[in-house]
Amino acid sequence: MYYGRATDKLVQERGECGGLITAVLTTAVEQKLVDGALVIKRDKSIYDGAPYFATTREEITDAAGSLHCAPTLSAKLIKNDFNGARDLRIAVTCKPCDARAIIELSKRNQIDLDNVYMIGVNCGGTMLPERAREMVRQFFEIDPDDVVKEEIDKGKLIIITKDGQHKELSIDDLEAEGYGRRTNCQRCEYNIPRMADLACGNWGVIGDDAGKATFVEVRTEKGQKLLDTAIAAGAITLKGATPQAIALREKLDGIMVKMARKAMATQFAQFDGEHKFERLFAQFDKCDGCRACIDVCPICSCVECFTNQEFVVPKDTVPPDPMFHLTRLMHVSPSCVNCGQCENVCPMKIPLATITHMVQSSVQGTLGYVPGQSIADAIPLSKLAEVKA
Amino acid sequence: MSQSEGAGEKGEQLWEPRILTFCCNWCSYAGADGAGVARMQYPPNARVIRVMCTGRINPLFIVKGFLAGADMVMVLGCHFGDCHYLKGNYTCDMRMSYLKAYLQAIGINPERLYWDQISASEGIKFTETMHNVVAKAKALGPIVNEIGAYAHGTQQNGAILGMSAFEAYAHGARQNGSPAQEVADDIF
Repeated sequence: MYYGRATDKLVQERGECGGLITAVLTTAVEQKLVDGALVIKRDKSIYDGAPYFATTREEITDAAGSLHCAPTLSAKLIKNDFNGARDLRIAVTCKPCDARAIIELSKRNQIDLDNVYMIGVNCGGTMLPERAREMVRQFFEIDPDDVVKEEIDKGKLIIITKDGQHKELSIDDLEAEGYGRRTNCQRCEYNIPRMADLACGNWGVIGDDAGKATFVEVRTEKGQKLLDTAIAAGAITLKGATPQAIALREKLDGIMVKMARKAMATQFAQFDGEHKFERLFAQFDKCDGCRACIDVCPICSCVECFTNQEFVVPKDTVPPDPMFHLTRLMHVSPSCVNCGQCENVCPMKIPLATITHMVQSSVQGTLGYVPGQSIADAIPLSKLAEVKA
Repeated sequence: MSQSEGAGEKGEQLWEPRILTFCCNWCSYAGADGAGVARMQYPPNARVIRVMCTGRINPLFIVKGFLAGADMVMVLGCHFGDCHYLKGNYTCDMRMSYLKAYLQAIGINPERLYWDQISASEGIKFTETMHNVVAKAKALGPIVNEIGAYAHGTQQNGAILGMSAFEAYAHGARQNGSPAQEVADDIF
């Protein structure tokens, strides 16, 4: 575990916390370790983080800096638009859910993990663009377009306006009002991307280095290769992290996990108790059968979807037959990575991610499977564990 | 599922549990045959579907069974080590434990799923199991109490609450334009 920063002044300035990730990506592309970098780039405004495939130093530097209004998922992009990284090598910046989704897809032979370099970034949650705009207007009482920078730190949402004003509000208070992070992010227990090749972030960076260096943990050989390349090219400098720094990072992670468990308990409670089935279907019956949830889901990767079989789900009924939702739940929930895409794209605002995550957390004990942790864990029910005598 | 004394207008005391039973061709179905040949008496609540192997049973068939109005679903297969296809019943065992957790999570009592192993020679065990399961089903009560109107197949034939499409057809509900008839025509 190290503190790292870029050596290039411009990269240091443009990038977040010393620009380590930007520098690593740049050298990886320039030294031909990868063919390109899949990054999140600011599009029209700071509320508009969009995926971007960068292949030159300028493009990567252009995309430097963090964004919190980017409820994107790179896993299905790699599968659909990059042919599962089978014929080109990609470095990708990942939230923990991106990394978990990439691992789940590679278990299903949809992504070639050997060609994907995952640079994980700590994530305390992302926000929906349109909700974030509303929030800035309503709670900060300023024009959303005047905001030039947003930051989440120590449980506070901090915004900086054009004329240099700093304003901050507690995320807890915002979430109590139904704003703040996406609901799946509130429930997320995976804030440090330990399943990626490199786990980076600003947690645990203390003293003079605060805000000027990135904490980086090497998780795999591929991660080591990325760092070695960057050091050899003289693009970054590293120094060992102190035990206090490591402890602080663990402590912050612990706090986030505790908050996530609390959010899970409160959000799942709405379905608990008597007539659970009917309460679930009060939500599902809003469905208009557009199948957008299936299109975006990083777990749904079958060529022939089981719900297309007429003996399971009769065709052309609105709302679709209950078997549609029950099939989706049964197939997705054991491996759900709680990325929240289904809920975000649902035109009827069904809390799909909440329900899937609820089912996932209650079958997890039986299956003994935590999705997206390691390529070595077999997909549940795909293998007989051991033949009983 | 066909059931002449179905629930509905006739009142609660006439309710008899309907038990969807999947039997494996090589063991349990032969066991049921054995019970029949030996003239052992057992309650008539089971509707048996023969499958070549319990490993062929997609857990969703069972979920669909509940939606079609089964009060309990029973899966009977070979003893471990006896499977005609070597490991079909291990696969089934694995799926059933997941399915129980899944049913719990979606609000169906996992007790409504019963999974056991009966060999071709165990006619006695078959009748005993049947008695026990019917008693259990009666204690659990109708599936309608748990999943409401969803227990009658699709939203479409929710209109014929208390009667499945098959029942409607079997009873010759042939009034012109009745929803039951339309659904029955769709299916058969």
